[in-house]
Amino acid sequence: MKAVLVVHGGAWAIPDELADASVKGVKAAASEGYRVLGTGGSALDAVEKAVRAMEDNPVFDAGHGAVLNADGEVELDAIIMDGQTLGSGAVSCVQNIANPVSLARAVMEKTDHVMLTSRGANLFAERIGFKTAPTETLVTAYERREWEKAKEYGAGVKELFHSQLCHDTVGAVAVDSCGNVACATSTGGIRNKMVGRVGDSPVIGAGGYADNRSGAVSCTGHGESILKVTLARLIIFHIEQGKEVEDAVELSLRYMDERVHGGGGAIAVSPSGQWAATFTTERMAWAAAEQGTLWYGLNPQERFQDKPVQ
Amino acid sequence: MDQSKRRRGRREGEGRKSYRPSLGKERSKRLSLCLIGMLPVLVVHGGAGQIPKERVEMASAGVRAAARAGYAVLQGGRSSMDAVVEAVTNLENNPSFNAGYGSVLNVKGEVEMDAIVMDGRTLASGAVSAVRNIANPIQLARLVMEQTSHLCLTAGGAGQFARAMGMPEVPGDSLITEYARMRWKKNLAPNANPVESQMGKMGTVGAVAVDEDGNIACATSTGGMLNKMEGRVGDTACIGCGGYADNRAGAVSPTGHGEAIMKVTLARLILFHMAQGMSPEEASDLGLATMKERVEGLGGVVTVDPQGRWAARFTTTQMAWAAAQGGTLHFGVFSGEDVTQDIGDPN
Repeated sequence: MKAVLVVHGGAWAIPDELADASVKGVKAAASEGYRVLGTGGSALDAVEKAVRAMEDNPVFDAGHGAVLNADGEVELDAIIMDGQTLGSGAVSCVQNIANPVSLARAVMEKTDHVMLTSRGANLFAERIGFKTAPTETLVTAYERREWEKAKEYGAGVKELFHSQLCHDTVGAVAVDSCGNVACATSTGGIRNKMVGRVGDSPVIGAGGYADNRSGAVSCTGHGESILKVTLARLIIFHIEQGKEVEDAVELSLRYMDERVHGGGGAIAVSPSGQWAATFTTERMAWAAAEQGTLWYGLNPQERFQDKPVQ
Repeated sequence: MDQSKRRRGRREGEGRKSYRPSLGKERSKRLSLCLIGMLPVLVVHGGAGQIPKERVEMASAGVRAAARAGYAVLQGGRSSMDAVVEAVTNLENNPSFNAGYGSVLNVKGEVEMDAIVMDGRTLASGAVSAVRNIANPIQLARLVMEQTSHLCLTAGGAGQFARAMGMPEVPGDSLITEYARMRWKKNLAPNANPVESQMGKMGTVGAVAVDEDGNIACATSTGGMLNKMEGRVGDTACIGCGGYADNRAGAVSPTGHGEAIMKVTLARLILFHMAQGMSPEEASDLGLATMKERVEGLGGVVTVDPQGRWAARFTTTQMAWAAAQGGTLHFGVFSGEDVTQDIGDPN
């Protein structure tokens, strides 16, 4: 079985000053996740590793580097899903956790539930010994500045330019050498979002979905639009109908654009190792590792080749 | 109400539709569906599980009352969204159901509720999860859809929004029934099985409807799972799982084992099958069978398609449901049951 790992670091109009760091970040994350697969690790372990790497990287809006809500606080969402069992774990609006994707995995493996939110999620984290990270260690000075600016100028403009909103949710999908697939997605949401706003990332079928029978998907972009069309599940549906992975993603993104005027991107992988990284926004930082090669891109149509980072 | 007033009311805030040459054909198709009594239609459920004998009649009476209330809204020319919210509000206010007043308790003995609405015309949706101290989460979910640019608010943030909207705050205790408290205590026992117990007794509530304009909507509301962990969110607040509505395909409102419903995105799954040409009944049965086969989950759904065909299907022992269409009320609780009565019948 061909082992493949694909990551994304967010679909949006990534400004030039963040471009290099974003590309470097997805390449490093993909390499880390791929190493797990290379040593016979599971798809689930690989996607968690890759997403953790991006949560730890302040250039992305997940874990470290998360954006602030309207009250100036960090609220994090994440999901992980195991294509073998359809098992899933998710957290929404959890605070002060450096690696929400790992907490999501704990929900899946240590509880009878699929999703925990807010204080309940935090209580669970405490109970199983997850360390809390003070807000100041998760929020960059850049984000604090941008948040103050956004507060000053109000939310009017942002409604019109969805794709220019900072959408750098992170995610990963993988198929391991046993043919098992998995996905994971993690985010700090939209800058200045209402307190308690839950986007697509932790919602099964929207921000991510994985099923050994068809494939795994992780989405990014305008969360509300992704939710309305249940983007991840829609992509899987097209794969189930026999479409190539890339066509399934393109069709679904086009549908999201036509039906609800939302922009975004998705990465997907099939059990046979077909993969895609496609987006309708200006840019999406992505990287894919397969057969000892690292592919990556930022702008539309880009597909560069490199060796995985050691 | 004369025809023009009715139409204006519904059009408020909608903006002009762009010209589509097929509009004439679609409109006449809809008119004929109205003429033969297929539209409007509303179907409600009061939860899938194993309703104890002594509670069967009140569950059935409850869904019938809710169906009548929702259908009256449709007959008055109002929208499917108004109708499903009316029906679900009615069920939330009825202490016999696991939603609003009468909600099951979490492990700490407190009420945390989830709810969702979805508008099939625009795919707009609103949801709340783990919200406390309000009587009608379904109305808050609708406010999320109509008054914010988001689709889902959770916990404290949802409460904050409720206050900002002037929604009255009610003491948590006022939502708790003796029955709920009794079930909670029983399930604190170390060898209790909340999932089985849940299937045992109390259900999420929901409704789907198609109005005279052919617009489709769904609404679902719940107190969640018996003795759930604090902050547990089930399928109800997750679009595609606890509900989905699309004018092009239909609407579904599920009930049952929430985690299982989530793993197969049940509402969305059923509508995929309908988009492929299956009837609401075939699609619902296939979706429920998939859930049983893949994740060993039981549940039920109410489903409707754009032509007004509907289904109330379940893999649990019972599901209290009622459907209103063409002046007739259909209802049932046990598998295969389909009793009809005139909608005007007060019972």
